[in-house]
Amino acid sequence: MAGKKGKILEAATILFAEQGFNETSVADLANATQSAEGTIFYHFKNKNELFVAILENVKEGILKEFSGYMRQCQFESGIEMIEGVIGFFLFLAAKKEQWFRLLQRHYPYEFARTNKNCRTLLEDIYNALVDLFEEAIRRGQLDGSIRELPERKTALILFSMLNGMVWLKFHDLYEPATLYEELLAICHRHLTNGAAPTV
Amino acid sequence: MPVVTVFSGTFCNESDVIEELVQRTGYHYITDEHVVKKAAVLANLGEEKIRHAMAAKTSVFNKFTHEKERSIAWLRLAVAEKLSEKNDLIIDGLCGLLIPQDITHVLRVCLIAGMKSRTEWAKPRQGSSQKATLKEIHQSDLDRTMWVHSLFKVRDPWDSSLHDIVAPTDRMTVPEIVDLIEDNLRSEVIQPTDTSRRAATDFHLAARVGVALAKEGHNVDVSARDGAVTVMIHQNVLMLGRLEEELKAIAAEIDGVQNVETRIGKGFHRTDIYRKYNFDTPKLLLVDDEREFVQTLSERLLMRDVGSAVAYDGKSALEMIDEEDPEVMILDLNMPGIDGIGVLREVKRTRPEIKVIILTGHGSDKDREICMELGAFAYLQKPVNIDVLSEKLKEAKEKMRHNRNGLS
Repeated sequence: MAGKKGKILEAATILFAEQGFNETSVADLANATQSAEGTIFYHFKNKNELFVAILENVKEGILKEFSGYMRQCQFESGIEMIEGVIGFFLFLAAKKEQWFRLLQRHYPYEFARTNKNCRTLLEDIYNALVDLFEEAIRRGQLDGSIRELPERKTALILFSMLNGMVWLKFHDLYEPATLYEELLAICHRHLTNGAAPTV
Repeated sequence: MPVVTVFSGTFCNESDVIEELVQRTGYHYITDEHVVKKAAVLANLGEEKIRHAMAAKTSVFNKFTHEKERSIAWLRLAVAEKLSEKNDLIIDGLCGLLIPQDITHVLRVCLIAGMKSRTEWAKPRQGSSQKATLKEIHQSDLDRTMWVHSLFKVRDPWDSSLHDIVAPTDRMTVPEIVDLIEDNLRSEVIQPTDTSRRAATDFHLAARVGVALAKEGHNVDVSARDGAVTVMIHQNVLMLGRLEEELKAIAAEIDGVQNVETRIGKGFHRTDIYRKYNFDTPKLLLVDDEREFVQTLSERLLMRDVGSAVAYDGKSALEMIDEEDPEVMILDLNMPGIDGIGVLREVKRTRPEIKVIILTGHGSDKDREICMELGAFAYLQKPVNIDVLSEKLKEAKEKMRHNRNGLS
């Protein structure tokens, strides 16, 4: 999205992610984008609508990033795809930190209780992320690189582990980079029933 | 033949009633222990684990494991199996409440007595101190309160909406109570019909689905109607589509399930986040050891409307003041342990803003004088006119709110 509207969206994403939705005033937004408050209200009816637009943007961004990645990668097997997805997830969380910071704030979930659009968008985002793991596990089960296990549950658990890594990083709890190798090893051991790595 | 469930407080002379009932009816008698044994076998779990579901105490890990709900699901299935085996049953204990109300050939009896009679009944049997006895009664009441709350979101285990008959065992003799039960057992409405038998079959089906879901850690309500299963989701889950698919897939595997529908329960969309922390805060604390069961129904209904908590002795009343933060208190003067005047004195010392209405059956003029001097808001004699009481309540609440606003 180009022009003023795109600028407002971009600035608002960062402000909401960094300092919070309730903590950001329209004046802050106007300041950051060097536009009049009226201009912001011209593009977005109110702050809530702006928030929904941001989530829409985040959703599209995540989908686009992942489909771009999947297109350029040729995975030999399901287990390889899992490793690829894990790596790209962490890469994206670092590259598009503001998206993931926004998603780790409390406000989106509070807002989702009353706003159907917000709720649907969040569900879509999380589904898209978990679906990737699920798809990889199914594929691995077909090609024999991943053993029999409940794919939906396993996908959610893998996703939670990764999301937890991002949490460690964003809240300065620990440096997840030091855990990366072991994370891959754990996934490998669990999914392949201890068989030696394919690579 | 119908089924009788008996839910009772401890030390309410309940075993005498049940013994006579079993003798007169010749029904097959089972207790929670039988149900627990059966559930443990069905679940292939230890009996202790299953039994624990009926205790008020819940492990903090339950939030993540849903162990309690899992045990309850197995108990429900065990009850459903017992029901499908025989009809002429007397089910004694907490498990009878697991039977849904639409199985109309079940007569739900509740046996309860006032605290004074219960402590007296407890003495000759136990030979322990009054303090220990009271503690035991409170613990068992707490178990029942939590059980009823987890099943029906009702705080009062003796609530008349849960039972067909609430019999005050301190005011009726054993033969009178058993007569009353037998009369009702002969009643037309309690006889098994095709509809009620179908409801029992559906209960069994729902229980089997419930177990399958609970095994996978789901905490949902399951009901069935002619093979059509409805799964009620109460917890707010954002990835709802995913959850619904999983619930449906599990339920559809169960024999006899025709179709599965998922529904969103009341608590799902919590619009007001503060409700999560504040909900059900009773603004009225009722302290009365001599609860007059049945007769005071309208009084209790009134209390329920204003949202009340009940304490049965002075000590627990004082504890509840800290926990529940009431605005108004209705206090009986004659109680075991710390008496009403002692409670009043303590409340006025620590929380002078709480309005205390004294409601007593045997108060003297001297008592009235003392209470008013100590700062009671009103002094009323039992039996109280419900309109007078509710007028006083209103006044007290208004005054309390007025003061609160004035302070802030």
